[in-house]
Amino acid sequence: MITITNASRWYGQVIGLNDVTCEIGPGLTALLGMNGAGKSTMLRMITGQIKPTTGSITVLGQEPFANPEVYKHMGYCPEIDNFYERKTGRQFVHYLARLAGYSNSEAKQRTEVMLEKVGMSDRADRKIHGYSKGMRQRIKLAQAMIHDPEIILLDEPLNGLDPVGRREYISLLHDLAVEGKTVLVSSHILYEVETMTKSILLLHRGRLLATGDLRVIRGLIDKHPHRIRIETDEPRRAAELLAPLPNIVSLRFEPKEAGIELEVRDADAFYTSLSNLILDHNLRVSAFSSPDNNLESVFKYLVNT
Amino acid sequence: MEAFLFTSTLKDYMRPARLLPWLILAVAAMALGMAWKNLDPESTKIEQYSNVSFILLFRLLALVSAVFTTAIISQEVEQKTIVYLLTRPVPRWKLLLFRWFASVAAVTLVGAIGVVLVSIGVFKNPMSNPMFLGDLWAVFLGALAYGSLFLLVSLLFNRAMIICLLFAFGWETSVPNMPGEIYYASIFSHLQAVAQHPSPKDAGNRGLSLIAGELNANALSAGTSLPILIIVSVLLVAASAWWFTRFEYVPREDAE
Repeated sequence: MITITNASRWYGQVIGLNDVTCEIGPGLTALLGMNGAGKSTMLRMITGQIKPTTGSITVLGQEPFANPEVYKHMGYCPEIDNFYERKTGRQFVHYLARLAGYSNSEAKQRTEVMLEKVGMSDRADRKIHGYSKGMRQRIKLAQAMIHDPEIILLDEPLNGLDPVGRREYISLLHDLAVEGKTVLVSSHILYEVETMTKSILLLHRGRLLATGDLRVIRGLIDKHPHRIRIETDEPRRAAELLAPLPNIVSLRFEPKEAGIELEVRDADAFYTSLSNLILDHNLRVSAFSSPDNNLESVFKYLVNT
Repeated sequence: MEAFLFTSTLKDYMRPARLLPWLILAVAAMALGMAWKNLDPESTKIEQYSNVSFILLFRLLALVSAVFTTAIISQEVEQKTIVYLLTRPVPRWKLLLFRWFASVAAVTLVGAIGVVLVSIGVFKNPMSNPMFLGDLWAVFLGALAYGSLFLLVSLLFNRAMIICLLFAFGWETSVPNMPGEIYYASIFSHLQAVAQHPSPKDAGNRGLSLIAGELNANALSAGTSLPILIIVSVLLVAASAWWFTRFEYVPREDAE
């Protein structure tokens, strides 16, 4: 559906996307990368707002730049939080439905269906300038789906959504994927992506670092020891219990005995062991965190691999 | 689709909040028309109307056109709402053209209201103004010509409004008064030719004559200016449509 071949995009002296080649087909795919990785640049190129400086992009076999034929089959939910603020949510979606080529009555009907789908029917008559971030995200999704496109591109769509909203939104994306649509979602939050899909494109500094199944990438990461910090008021006892575990690589006490920092292999197995220890030995753990469990660390591992 | 593009844009331009400043200025022009008799008791009604229309109305026409035309694309880019328009299955040239038609209609309407109000201010009954229909025609042509020029400027430059205002109040004030035939390059001079107001009897007040573009004798005729205005407008709009279809319109600061 979407084919990117050696596409690069320069902004003057700055490179936004660097020699990216990939294919994106039906199903839910996540475009993962830190801020400034080139996710939005890639989405803008696919949506034909900008052209690649070198290389090529085709969507359904056609170049997307300023191509209405492509837009008939594509819905786009931009990252920007800008709207026609004086319009109500209903007017906004209806306006864009009309621009998608529907008659007034058809557009009205589709608008109602979409507002219902994104859970905005009851609030759609309020002016957009009074909307919360979550409501804005839902309205943006409604306008992207209004013409029932085969390809839906969403740029950081979960920003600003509350946990319930996220769950509903992700469920909706899954439904679209099940219907056979090509859904590409950009995000910079690894956890968010993990709950969404296993199929990812990993961008870093404009380069496509990895593609494919997230579990494979996770596997690569798991070759490296993970750092885990445990806060407890009995660090020595905790160390005594944890040290015999087979996953532990190293163990270090924090200053003033505020907790301990571990390096472990196979983090998932370790977490299972940790919860058993807490329950079996009544170990008092006030918090634990993994400083490594973020995108930056993922990139560091992958680049160093 | 085309009709929707036109009507939705026109509806936006016709919002009361957007129209109100121009209506206030049109009423001010009418008040000036009514007061002119006291300022210049020897002047005829035709001279009173002619002075107010060239000193104020046609100057405002350029200003209205600058404001409405730059809103077609520049405002959408600045507000970052352009993305919603550019990712719809509408050819870009069509999007531009029908939004431009709406802006021309809005500018013509505002200009026409001005002509009607000033005619009422001077003649009481607009139909007793012998220049009434000619001025309505000139207002339409002015909306067309200024609109097409400002459209291209708004596509080519980031700070289009500044350039448009410099043109409207700098170029258009000075060029019609310059010696030689450089006034051919002024839209205002062509509008003067189309409107065919009687020549001023006395150019005693050089300040007013300067603003009215009457310091230099304008040898243009309506027969010459009409095709020039139409041809230039068509060429400029065609160039704008070509440019808009070919180049990117993404807010620069959004680029990663």
